Amino acid sequence: MSIRKALPLLLIAALAAVILGSSASAQKSATFKAAMVSDTGNINDRSFNFLASQGLARAHRKLGAQTRIYISKSKSDYLPNLAQAARDGNKAVLATGFLLADDMSTAATQFPNTDYAIVDFPWVALKDKPKNAIGLTFKSEQSGYLVGYLAALMAKKQGGKQVLGAVGGKKIPSVDNWIAGYRAGAKKANRRIQVKIGYSDEFAIGFSAKCKEIALKQIQQGAQVIFQVAGGCGLGALDAAKANHKGKRPVWGIGVDADQAYLGKHILTSGTKKVDNAAFKFFSLVKSGNFRGGRDFVFTLKNGGQGVGKISPKVPPAFVTKMNAIKKLIIKGKIKPPATL
Amino acid sequence: MLATPPAPPEGEGPGETVASRFAFYQRAGGVLTPLVTTVFAFFIGGLVVLLITHKNPISTYKAIFNGTGLNWFFPWISHADRINAAFNLQSTLLLTTPLILTGLAVAFAFRAGLFNIGGQGQYAAGSIVGVWVASSLTGMSGFPHIVLAILLGSLAGAGLAGIAGFLRATVGAHEVITTIMLNWIVFWLAGWLFGQQGPLQTSRERSLTQSNDIAPNTHLHVWWGNPILQGLHVGFFIAVAMLVVYWIVLNRTTLGYEIRAVGYNPEAAGYAGIDVRRAYFLAMAISGGFAGLAGVIDVLGWKFVLSVDDVQGQAGAGAVGFLGIAVALLGRNSAVGIFFAALLFGALLNGTSDRHLDPAVFPPTLAENLTLLIQGLVLLFIGADILVIYLWRARRRVVPRKLARTSST
Repeated sequence: MSIRKALPLLLIAALAAVILGSSASAQKSATFKAAMVSDTGNINDRSFNFLASQGLARAHRKLGAQTRIYISKSKSDYLPNLAQAARDGNKAVLATGFLLADDMSTAATQFPNTDYAIVDFPWVALKDKPKNAIGLTFKSEQSGYLVGYLAALMAKKQGGKQVLGAVGGKKIPSVDNWIAGYRAGAKKANRRIQVKIGYSDEFAIGFSAKCKEIALKQIQQGAQVIFQVAGGCGLGALDAAKANHKGKRPVWGIGVDADQAYLGKHILTSGTKKVDNAAFKFFSLVKSGNFRGGRDFVFTLKNGGQGVGKISPKVPPAFVTKMNAIKKLIIKGKIKPPATL
Repeated sequence: MLATPPAPPEGEGPGETVASRFAFYQRAGGVLTPLVTTVFAFFIGGLVVLLITHKNPISTYKAIFNGTGLNWFFPWISHADRINAAFNLQSTLLLTTPLILTGLAVAFAFRAGLFNIGGQGQYAAGSIVGVWVASSLTGMSGFPHIVLAILLGSLAGAGLAGIAGFLRATVGAHEVITTIMLNWIVFWLAGWLFGQQGPLQTSRERSLTQSNDIAPNTHLHVWWGNPILQGLHVGFFIAVAMLVVYWIVLNRTTLGYEIRAVGYNPEAAGYAGIDVRRAYFLAMAISGGFAGLAGVIDVLGWKFVLSVDDVQGQAGAGAVGFLGIAVALLGRNSAVGIFFAALLFGALLNGTSDRHLDPAVFPPTLAENLTLLIQGLVLLFIGADILVIYLWRARRRVVPRKLARTSST
C-alpha cells in the first residue's frame, strides 16, 4: 500500500483511538476534595501561590483531602478554572491573589454549594458579596513594624547616614501595609531615620533587574537595609543588598512573605506572611463543617498568621529582646502599626 | 518572509501544461502541508510527553482532546460528558474568535507584502477604547452603544497600525520595527490609564488596577451556555463574517486587487499605475482594524473589564495578537485556512489548560509548556513547507517506478 493510501487510514485509526477511549467519566467519591486556583504567577513564584500550595499539601497530609491545583495561564482561565474546580466536586476552592477577585465573586454566586476563599482581598470589597466566600487578609503592617524596628536598630549600631530602603512591587494595599508598618517601626527605634520607598510595578521574577536597580539607587542614597515587598522581582533588590554586604557598614536585605534566610548571610530577617496557615485553616474549617462565609479571616501576629523569620546571628541578642517586647505590645494592642502610607 | 508566494491559479486536477501541473501541486501542498505539519508536530509532542513524563501520550492527547470540547460533536458520548463538553467547546470557540481576527490581521498585511507583528498592540488598543466607550456613556441604549464601541475600538486598532503603514509609505520605516515599538506604547499606556490613581481606574474598588466595568447592556448576547460563566457570545459570528469580508475585499474589489498586486511586486504595481503608498497605508490600517475588532469583541463578549495585568501579561492565551501570526502562517493567508488554524490554536490553548488534565494523566505544571511545544513545532514545520512539498513530489516520482517494477516481475 502506498503512503498516500495509508495516510488517511492512519489518521482515522488515530482519531478512533482517541474517540473510543473518551467514554470513561470520573467516578464520584465521598472523600473531601479541596483545590486552589493560582493566578498567572504560577505556583513556583516563591511567594503566595507557592505558600498556598503548601497549605493545600498540608490539607492532603493532615485532613486526608484529595487535592488539585488549577494553574491559570491567563485571565481567560480564571473563571473557567474556578468553575471547573466546583464542577469537579471540590468542596473548598482557594483563589490566590487579588487578581482573581472579580471572577471568584462570580463563580461563588454560580456554585453556592462550594466554599470559596480569596487571599489578600477583603470579602466586603467583593463584587457580589457571596455568602459562600471569605476573604483571607493579613495585617502585614504588624510584621513590617517589627522588621523595620530591627532594621533601624542595626542602622543605629552601624552608624553613618541613617537611611533605610523599601522596594515595593505595585502600589496596592497588600504591599503598602508592609511598607507603612516598616516605616513606622523604624521611626519607633530612631525618630530621625529616613525611609526611601520605591516601586517596580512588577512582581514577576523576570523583572528582578528592575527591583535591583531601585535598591541600588537607595543604597547610593545611604540605605543600610533594603526591605523587599515585590515577590519574585524583589529577589533582585536582595541581590543588590548582597553585592553591598561588605565593609564597615554592610547593607542588609529583608525578605518578605516566606522566610528568605536561605538566600544568604546578607538577610537580616524576613517579614513572614503565613498564607499556608491561612489556606490550611480555610480547608480544615470546610472539612469540619464549621465554615461560615460572608466575612474575613484576618491574620495577625496574635493568631500566628504573621511573623518574623529567622534572624541573622550577627544581630545582637539585646535587639531581638527589644523587638520581642514590641511584638508583645502589638499583640496586646498597645501599639497599632499604620496600614497605609 | 515579506514576500508572499504567488497565489496558485484556478484549475482542477493536474493539467496538461507544465504550469498548470505546477499550480496543482502547489494547491495540493497548500492544503496538505499544514495538515501534515500539524500531525507531525503532535506526533513529536507525543514523543516528548513519553520521554519526559513517561506517561502514555495517547491518554494525554485524549485528555487534551476532551478538554477542547470537540467531543461534543460525537453522538455517542454520555449526557454528563456532553454537558462538560459543551462548557469546554464554548471556551475553545471563545478563544478561537479573537484568533480568527488577529489571524486575519496578519494575513491581510501579508497579502500586501507587509509583516504586521503588532497585532497584540492593536488588539490591546481595541480593548482599551472598547472598554472605555462601553463603560462610559452609560445613558446610551444597548445596541447603538455596542456598535459605537465596536466601531471606535476597531478604529483604534486601525489607527495604530495606520501609523506604521503611514511611516512605511512615507519614509520607508520598516513596519516590523514600528509595530513592535507601538505595541509597547499601548501596553504602558494601559498601565497608566488603569493603574493606581490612573484616569480610567475603576471607581468600584481602588485596590484593583483595572478599568470600570462595562455597562450591562453592552454585553454581547450569549447564544450558547451560561452568560455569567463565559458562555459563547455572538462575537463568534462577527469573526466568521469577517472571514467572508476578508475574502471579498481581497478577491472581489479594486482595493484588494491593488493590495495583492503590491504584495507580489511593489515596483511593477507602481509602474502599472497603482498608488503603492496608499496601498501600504490602507493594508496596514485594515489589518489593524481586524486586530482592534478582536480586542473589542473580547471585552464586550466575556472580559467585561480590562486590567493592567490583562493587557501587559503576554503569556499563554493572553497573547492572541502574537498567535495571530501563527494562525495566518498555518492558514496560508486564506479565509478557510485561517478559520481552521484559529480553531486548532484555540483548541490547543483550551485543551492544554491544566483543568482538563488530570494530574494522573499529565503533570499540570507542564501543561503550558506542552502548548508552547506543539505551537513551536507547528511553526517550525510550516517554515519547512518547501521541504515537505519536495518530499511529497519525490515520493510521487518514486511510486510509479516501484509499481512498474512489481508489475514486470
